[in-house]
Amino acid sequence: MAGTGSANIFYVVSDALSSLRENKGTTVLTSFTLGFSLAIFSLFAFVITNLNAVVKSWGDRTQVIAYVKNDPGPSPEAMKERILRMEGVRSADFTSKEKALNELRLELKGHEGILEGVDSNPLPASFEIRVHDEYIEPARLESVVKGIEAEAWVEEVQYSKEWAEKLASFLRFVKLVAAGTGAFLAAATLFIISNTIRLAVYARKDEIEIMKLVGASDMYVKAPFVIEGVVQGVLGGLLAMGILATGRAAIMGQVPAYLRFALEMPYPVPVFMAVLAASGVVMGVAGSLISMNRFLKV
Amino acid sequence: MIQMFHVSKTYEGGTPALTDITLKVQKGEFVFITGPSGAGKSTLLKIMCGSEAPTEGQIILDGRNYVRIPPEELPPLRRRIGFVFQDFKLLPRKTVFENIALSLKVMGAPPSEIKKRVTRMLSYVRLQHRANFKPLQLSGGEQQRVAIARALVKDPAIILADEPTGNLDPELSVQIIELFREVNSRGTTVVVATHDKGLLERYARHSIALDAGRLA
Repeated sequence: MAGTGSANIFYVVSDALSSLRENKGTTVLTSFTLGFSLAIFSLFAFVITNLNAVVKSWGDRTQVIAYVKNDPGPSPEAMKERILRMEGVRSADFTSKEKALNELRLELKGHEGILEGVDSNPLPASFEIRVHDEYIEPARLESVVKGIEAEAWVEEVQYSKEWAEKLASFLRFVKLVAAGTGAFLAAATLFIISNTIRLAVYARKDEIEIMKLVGASDMYVKAPFVIEGVVQGVLGGLLAMGILATGRAAIMGQVPAYLRFALEMPYPVPVFMAVLAASGVVMGVAGSLISMNRFLKV
Repeated sequence: MIQMFHVSKTYEGGTPALTDITLKVQKGEFVFITGPSGAGKSTLLKIMCGSEAPTEGQIILDGRNYVRIPPEELPPLRRRIGFVFQDFKLLPRKTVFENIALSLKVMGAPPSEIKKRVTRMLSYVRLQHRANFKPLQLSGGEQQRVAIARALVKDPAIILADEPTGNLDPELSVQIIELFREVNSRGTTVVVATHDKGLLERYARHSIALDAGRLA
């Protein structure tokens, strides 16, 4: 009796759906395992991403100030262009002598008397220069500073070496903690998920064997597991989002304001949802296929 | 139909289950494999259906060498064999009807044909009233008949049955063997492993006797 391909696919899908009904318990259990694991991992990713963003924003304070000679020669625009062309420089803001004096006057409000008797403007023009994140590193920052100092119209360059060193070492620490904890958490998550799936597949090894012995192709045997893996993955992803949203709503009120940044959603929500569901599906399907492989050799 | 050349099987860390078996079963033959418990009957049948690989030797089944067959060609070959396992190997969460239908579904038979054939097979083994039961709701003898029905429903070229009457009373045993004889008379090769001496005396046939893993 020749089998028809279309009938075969019909049976594969209908068998997979009925097997989903028969294995409700395991599907729910696996989805929960996936959901909680993904939620824990996401929470960790949130905190690390947010912390990293905050520490990097501190980098903006690493300003290099270049004071310009009284009679510099080139126009402010030409000098700015020179600075921006240097390696590592992100931005340069010009402050003219007049602007500097005005700012000083504002700061001295109520004590303007101090400036009496000053005929000419003693303040130099300057550039506030910010570097790219990777140039916060002390050695690289110093090379940027040297480059600026080499310009003939530069009187003096000021920057906080100590602050740059502290910031760089803190950034290194954050990265190390993120990598270490991330690796540990990833390993633990994968271990828990793969074991749950392995047990679920093991419970059905007889079923796999019987199907193979009556002449089912590997595709026929695998299909229900793949479809279940997809369903479990999507359910797990949705569950993880639910856990995160309710968990966040529940504790946000108790978190001191200055720490709330860590629980903010750092990614676009649709992308995050897609990534969660996709990781759930990949883990569910790959886990099932890998676990069942050895039972297919009947 | 089935040829074995110098087949031996040793399970990991165990004593040899089969030693140097060479035999031939002709197309359309009805053969009993006999011998006491532990003689190697089940192992011989498992090697014939390809669920166990021999440690040594070659098996030609339906013109194909089992030992060298690529894995993807095994399912089509298995669909030509009806195997009745000693422990039935029924899917516990499927109904009797679905268990029998499985052999036809994996071949891609149309639903109307499956319904027709399974219904006919159910009446053949007298289990029409059990169609919607789960295997564990049935007696041992009934489960055995489901296993037999699953093997026969696809009109296989070969039937391999491991103690198919082991759980049946003598009257039903005779009926089952009659069933196999009828299938055999239509050209199907039948190999039955049994230690039931009564059956052997009643049906004096070509028999292969095993003792301690060797041809006796």
